[in-house]
Amino acid sequence: MIKDRLGKELLFFDGGMGTLLQERGLGPGELPETWNLSRPGTIQEIHRAYIEAGSDIVLTNTFGANALKFHDDGCSLEEIVKKGVENVKTAVKEAGVGRTVYTALDIGPTGKLLKPMGDLEFETAYEAFREVMIWGEQAGADLIHIETMSDTCELKAAVLAAKENTSLPVFATAIFDERGKLLTGADVPSVVALLEGLRADAIGINCGMGPEQMIPVLEQFLKYSSLPIIVKPNAGLPKQRDGQTYYDVDPDQFAELMKKITQMGAAVIGGCCGTTPDHIRRMKELCEDIPVIPVREKEFTVVSSYGQSVFLGNGSKIIGERINPTGKKRFKQALKEHDLDYILREGITQQDNGAHILDVNVGLPDIDEPALMKEVVQELQSVTNLPIQIDTVDAEAMEAALRIYNGKAMVNSVSGKQESMDTVFPLIQKYGGVVIGLTLDENGIPNDADGRVKIAEKIIAEAAKYGIKKKDIVIDALAMTISSEPEGAKVTLETLRRLKDELQVCTVLGVSNISFGLPSRPVVNSAFYTMAMMNGLSAGIINPSSEDMMKAWYAYHALMNLDANCENYIKKYSAAASAPSTVSESGKDGIGLQEAIVKGLREEASSVTASLAREREPLEIINSELIPALNQVGDGFEKGTVFLPQLLMSAEAAKSAFAVLKSRMDQSGEVQEKKGTIVLATVKGDIHDIGKNIVKVLLENYSFDVIDLGKDVPPERIVETVLEKDIRLVGLSALMTTTVVSMEETIKQLREKAPGCLVMVGGAVLNQDYADMIGADFYGKDAMQSVHYAQEVFQ
Amino acid sequence: MERREKEAVRYLGFGKNAVDDRTLALIRESFEDLDREAGKKSVHRVFDIRQAADDRILIGPMDITSKSLGRNLKGCDKVILFGATLGTGVDRLITRISLTDMAKAAVLQACAAAELEDYCDECQKKIAGAMEEEGRYLRPRFSPGYGDFDIRHQETLMRMLDCAKTIGLTMTDSFMMTPTKSVTALIGAGKMRMNCPESGCETCAKTDCAFRR
Repeated sequence: MIKDRLGKELLFFDGGMGTLLQERGLGPGELPETWNLSRPGTIQEIHRAYIEAGSDIVLTNTFGANALKFHDDGCSLEEIVKKGVENVKTAVKEAGVGRTVYTALDIGPTGKLLKPMGDLEFETAYEAFREVMIWGEQAGADLIHIETMSDTCELKAAVLAAKENTSLPVFATAIFDERGKLLTGADVPSVVALLEGLRADAIGINCGMGPEQMIPVLEQFLKYSSLPIIVKPNAGLPKQRDGQTYYDVDPDQFAELMKKITQMGAAVIGGCCGTTPDHIRRMKELCEDIPVIPVREKEFTVVSSYGQSVFLGNGSKIIGERINPTGKKRFKQALKEHDLDYILREGITQQDNGAHILDVNVGLPDIDEPALMKEVVQELQSVTNLPIQIDTVDAEAMEAALRIYNGKAMVNSVSGKQESMDTVFPLIQKYGGVVIGLTLDENGIPNDADGRVKIAEKIIAEAAKYGIKKKDIVIDALAMTISSEPEGAKVTLETLRRLKDELQVCTVLGVSNISFGLPSRPVVNSAFYTMAMMNGLSAGIINPSSEDMMKAWYAYHALMNLDANCENYIKKYSAAASAPSTVSESGKDGIGLQEAIVKGLREEASSVTASLAREREPLEIINSELIPALNQVGDGFEKGTVFLPQLLMSAEAAKSAFAVLKSRMDQSGEVQEKKGTIVLATVKGDIHDIGKNIVKVLLENYSFDVIDLGKDVPPERIVETVLEKDIRLVGLSALMTTTVVSMEETIKQLREKAPGCLVMVGGAVLNQDYADMIGADFYGKDAMQSVHYAQEVFQ
Repeated sequence: MERREKEAVRYLGFGKNAVDDRTLALIRESFEDLDREAGKKSVHRVFDIRQAADDRILIGPMDITSKSLGRNLKGCDKVILFGATLGTGVDRLITRISLTDMAKAAVLQACAAAELEDYCDECQKKIAGAMEEEGRYLRPRFSPGYGDFDIRHQETLMRMLDCAKTIGLTMTDSFMMTPTKSVTALIGAGKMRMNCPESGCETCAKTDCAFRR
């Protein structure tokens, strides 16, 4: 078994396939895998050359063999994959080298970008990998090698497909650039965290660079990985000659560098693009007697996103608590109305205010929590690179989010109750993650530190049964309000200290619980936060928008020499002391609301509105200040004296004024009459939504309610929304001729099922003729025209 | 103003009008953001080209029927397949800013387009240098979707460049590029030096366009 040898002796992969096939006549753009069937002899000859050169592991010629690349090529993918495995096995037999040679099913990327940045669904990618892996195992592959991955989400889909559908060992390597990052932004620790969490057997680097450029990336792998490391460089950086790509690190140079790489600690080595059997032969000659450095278990507690990793244990990390409906009326409303933008903005604000991790809780009665949790997590990952803490008591929601989450998530939470551990640990075992363990069990919350530490021990011991290590557990010492538990704070602090000193485990707290029921809670919260950090709190779940909490955080890190040269502290607070508040100054200057909006001054618009609202009725302000200002700007835009950025700055200023008035009206119970509800969508297949978003801001300015269905929206979903909400006007956007087709289809379906509904369209390729041709009711050349049309419709 | 700033102003629809200070400030801020977030990558490969007729061009497995491309490539014996992207970071940035400030988002969008063109020009200049050494001169780049050059050739073009692997550039089912701030193009190369090669707006038939230079 290869697993028994892995990490104990040096194993040799083969080298490049593509370059050798090109030399043998493979045309540009031709799918190399078709040669498994059409020219098996050639493929076997290459495999055999590698076996004779000394490779222990030979990759099947199946790098691009997946349904997403082979959609219309008229040959059976199953045959290609199975024949690919057979070709290696035949070559092994014919070579007869008298040592074990393993057949590795080669799995490359799909060539498509996954959601949310691309249009490929996670499960579609998973399915594409799954079928190939099943065929590969059936045909007798000894292991699966997933390689050249440049997106952690796709990497995750591939590893999961292998783990869930085969019993083969899984090797996984990604393609890094000189900055030590994947094309989609992930750094080495986040790739390591993800793959260890998914329980790959060996991980590493391939393609992209030559051996020399890979050395700094390898150093990082050695620092963070607790798994054997694979290194498969190209024969140098690609160069061009006569229009052809070539690589110029020769076998001797290559072998010398690979010797160094082996001495550093690589456990499996081979070559990628441009390497040949000669490279592998020289490499083997030079490296074969080097003893493999045993892998050491690393003790980092790390969570990651697609683009960065966060380490717990050095200083205290901030987990933003605001994405949570508990006690928040506005947030509950957003969840019920499926107002994702509101939720995403909560995430962005917390990141801007200093959060390192975002807690996400979308649990409400009568809500499809698994679906919503998955959607919110995915969408958040299109606007923030912070790792996410999946916070739910619904196991189904937890799994749905863990599955598609791009990275290694934090999970909130498991408790010492057997049932909870039986439910949560299998999920962590499968998907990876750092899980919060609450120090409570069937008997409730112990009222002393002893009891809580014992529960922590129990959680750690039970997790070990699943192979979940202590470094992937963070214990919540539980903060109980001092208004009912006079000793509560002391018990929590002692628990924190003992968890750190006795169990050497990371800790977390929902800090603000401590002051429940007391007045001026931030006073108590921030003092307790400092005390908790002093006692070893690894991460506090707090509101990063609370100034008191952030002051405590910055001051603590400066005081404890966790902020080198007080750099962060100075950056944060020196500006605060010296910068004059622009808002109050311009307020003094007495700028009017109309002027603030016309000039597009957002802060001024909201502060002036706040002072106006003390004397005048909100509705009166809207009618006599806001609307005239908006009209002035809108007219200017149409006359060509005001331009798009200015129009939008004014729209944003008006929006901030409206927000102030809305909260006043909510308090008084007054209701502003809405002009009507409009559905907006960027049509199916189209991912460009800036135009639609511009129209949305303006329509909202003019008191329309907008249901924004987002981008890439199927016609059926638009029709469904129109029927359900009884909508009179739909706005559709499309950028290209290829997506106007979906626009036409959407209109057709709307005509059939909702004949009373009007449709306005816009987008780069559209014009009046085109709009007429696809049967739209109105073509809006720009955003203001859609406002006028909406006003006409709802008159 | 820098060249890319001027282009951004044009994309924002100012035409011949002067840009206001606040928009200009947003433009400069946006370019700073882009300099930080963009992961620019490009790839190119040179192929032989055969023009079977004025409107029929053969490049490797690509068989293209297009009058406008035929005109562009007239007299060329080589063609450079070219791909470039600003990376997913820019898409994420624009999505993020769209939620908090649409004015900035629109400006950012225009700046990203200008930045991308600038980057393509820079790459093309380097390619031109290398090609001139072998006595060939470049034509303006021409992308699938321009004129009557069918956008569906995008797929083969991207496969010939192995764009997904080399620069992380992929395509959706409807032929849209992801990351969205990306370009693919053909750049003809011929032994004749063209005097003052026209490019961009000047070659476009849509003379009433609001964004025309």
